[in-house]
Amino acid sequence: MWGRDVAGLRLTFHLAGINNQNFLMRDDQTGTYWQQISGKAVSGPLSGSQLPFVHSDELNFGAWESEEPQGTVLQDAVQYRFGYARKDWDVRMQRAPTVIDFREHGLKGRDLMLGIQAFGASRAFPYDQVIREKLVQDHVGAEPVLLVVGADGQSVRAFRDHIPGIQGSPDFYRMPGNQAGTPGALLMDAATGSEWNFQGCAVSGKAKGACLEPVEVIKDYWFDWRNFNPSTTVYGKK
Amino acid sequence: MTNSEVQRIRRTSVAILSGCLALSLTCVVYPFYVIRPFRAQGARELAIALVVMRFRSAATLVSGAAAVAALVLYWRAQPRRRRRAFAAAGAAFVCVLAALARVNIYELMFHPDDRPSFAAASRMKLDKDEKVIAVKIGGAARAYPIRNISYHHVINDVLDKVAIVATY
Repeated sequence: MWGRDVAGLRLTFHLAGINNQNFLMRDDQTGTYWQQISGKAVSGPLSGSQLPFVHSDELNFGAWESEEPQGTVLQDAVQYRFGYARKDWDVRMQRAPTVIDFREHGLKGRDLMLGIQAFGASRAFPYDQVIREKLVQDHVGAEPVLLVVGADGQSVRAFRDHIPGIQGSPDFYRMPGNQAGTPGALLMDAATGSEWNFQGCAVSGKAKGACLEPVEVIKDYWFDWRNFNPSTTVYGKK
Repeated sequence: MTNSEVQRIRRTSVAILSGCLALSLTCVVYPFYVIRPFRAQGARELAIALVVMRFRSAATLVSGAAAVAALVLYWRAQPRRRRRAFAAAGAAFVCVLAALARVNIYELMFHPDDRPSFAAASRMKLDKDEKVIAVKIGGAARAYPIRNISYHHVINDVLDKVAIVATY
């Protein structure tokens, strides 16, 4: 997700082309073309500019609603409702062909990945593997990160593995649902013994009230992630 | 006007018409050829196609005007009806290409939601396992169902006074 205020202008975008199955947007104000995945201007008067990054999560509605009961939701546009996808759109798209292929790490083009581009590096995590492991402690570049699967078993968030006021990167442990002492707690850390929820905030223990810094994680197909992150490494692969 | 002058006008106007036709055809066909679905795009050809798309409206308009001017010259210098008609068809095609150059097939295929509307989460009848893109700015939280945004692909929005674009 991106901000729309650039170079003193408030831009309005629409889909205007495609670059190896990742779409190009064009803004109405300057006619500049922007790459969707990177937010970079690739052609036009603002070429070379970067849209401001806005953090977002891809979650199940139930997980989001429980966190944000006062939130608002985009409604269907009635005239287009007939064209909307089914709710398993990303899974169904796994059968669609790709125009580029990166036969690396035993991955197929449409394998779903969780990509992190941060700390000067890119790293992809196979979605199915993260869902199986439920908690991944790893590094992106030199930065320790956590990937946490929500209680719904499908939503995933990533955080820097750093507790404010605590040196180093503490180990975290996944708590079985029936062992959580505090509602919503998913994890416990070894440094403070605190319980942490899916929002990355400590809900009990010495760290109560502290929150881990969120890290943007993009759910993407392998071919697309690899195309726009050519130096990416892959979790669990050498 | 001497016969050689008439010949020169015919040759020149035909050359202008042909050039206009080639230019306009390239402006319309090349980007469509490069940026079409289920075809790999090379970086260089994509960059050229995007530049063509940016300037083709003006280029094909000038080309259309030049083609019409060339047709007028040719018409006056060419008495044969069939050749006049052939030149007129060429100039008309250049004008049609000028109109086509203003059409972006992707903008026709994909329908933006120009007036997105939002409802309280409690009013939405979504399944718990329906996937959404979620954003929170300040105290305002918003979710975009992927079922919806995977159709529109781009939602221009403002949340807590911050202008954002949700993409999928």
